[in-house]
Amino acid sequence: MRAPLFLKRRVRHIMEDISIDGQQISEATIYAVETASSYADSGIHIALAAERVGEFLGIPLTNTLITSWIVMAILFTIAFFVGRNLKMIPGRVQTLFEEMLNFILNYMTEVLEDGKLARKLFPFITTLFLFIFASNVLEFTPGIGSIGFIEQSSHGGEAFTPLLRSVNTDLNVTLALAVIAFIVIEVVGVATLGIMKYASKFLNFKSVIGFLVGIIELFSEVARLISFSFRLFGNILAGEVLIVVIMFFVPYLVPVPMMLFEVFVGLIQAAIFALLTLFFIKIAITEPH
Amino acid sequence: MEEIVKVFGLNWKLLIVQAVNFGVLLLALWYFLYRPVLKMLDTRREKIEEGVKSAEKSQERLREIEGERDTVLKEATKSAEELLASSKERAQEQASQIVNDANTRADSILVSAEQRAQEAKEQALRESKAEIGKAAVLAAERILKEKQS
Repeated sequence: MRAPLFLKRRVRHIMEDISIDGQQISEATIYAVETASSYADSGIHIALAAERVGEFLGIPLTNTLITSWIVMAILFTIAFFVGRNLKMIPGRVQTLFEEMLNFILNYMTEVLEDGKLARKLFPFITTLFLFIFASNVLEFTPGIGSIGFIEQSSHGGEAFTPLLRSVNTDLNVTLALAVIAFIVIEVVGVATLGIMKYASKFLNFKSVIGFLVGIIELFSEVARLISFSFRLFGNILAGEVLIVVIMFFVPYLVPVPMMLFEVFVGLIQAAIFALLTLFFIKIAITEPH
Repeated sequence: MEEIVKVFGLNWKLLIVQAVNFGVLLLALWYFLYRPVLKMLDTRREKIEEGVKSAEKSQERLREIEGERDTVLKEATKSAEELLASSKERAQEQASQIVNDANTRADSILVSAEQRAQEAKEQALRESKAEIGKAAVLAAERILKEKQS
């Protein structure tokens, strides 16, 4: 029960720091956190960090890492069988994939206004979408989050460590994706405009206002790392927590529509991640004025 | 910062592993899915383009051929008509010539026949004149004999 303990400590810190006159408020908050953690003791288990299941070649083996391998394996299998059975007269599955990929490519060409660049970036954007979407769809697969082992925690209580955990509820994954997206955006911008022209977007010495705007742009550019990673992480984790809480109170039927909604959220989040990357690339390749 | 890293379980090794995972997935999907599917889409588009183009081409060719056929047919009709007209003319000419020939020949035959008839008549006349002379001599002889006796 690391998180609730941590939260308790954190709330106390904040209350002490702020030192609001009302002692009651802080007491009430602590009471709330304690109530929450007592609920946690009785079944709700929420961890912000992915649990460590083992170690492999010095790399911590977390449950999200295992799940992401499973997601990769599923995508790989689908891709292999779809790609191998392509025919001139397409079947249903082939039509589905062709339509999807064709739609993405057409949309990218439309947005980037550059067919060649769209074709180059197509695998990247599509893989972002497919990976995030597949991960989010598998969020509620029976077994994810429920299969695991019970360990004696250091506090003396029993801690449950699930073997599988939805991929995007690990900040490592979303941050890695955000970093990759960030690098791709910058690289494409530099490669398209040239380093001097691209840098002039952020370091503008023509006027004071231009300089300030450039600095703000620079900050917003870097802030994307945080917004990208936390948007996805927060949405998916929130959905997971919501389901867990609902399941705690009403285990049957009621969680189903919520799960459906969360699958929809997963689709939306995957699309948002891919689309925002695409739009930021478009912004990066636009000539500064 | 350290607390954030700890709370969210951030680990640079995991970050790198996840990034590599994504890269591997990207390559695999590119190789096994995107490349063949896009290639298939391209080939199909090309094929359709080709088909449309060849259909247009054959349509044009058909139109050309039809035009050609029309002109050829017209020419043929024209020449046939000309041929017919000229042959008719020639036939008429020939027919009239034949009739003329026949007429002239008939005329000449008639003329020669008349001539011959005239000749025969004259000969007959001459012969009968001679005979009449002879008979007259004989009769005169007989009368003379009767008178002597």
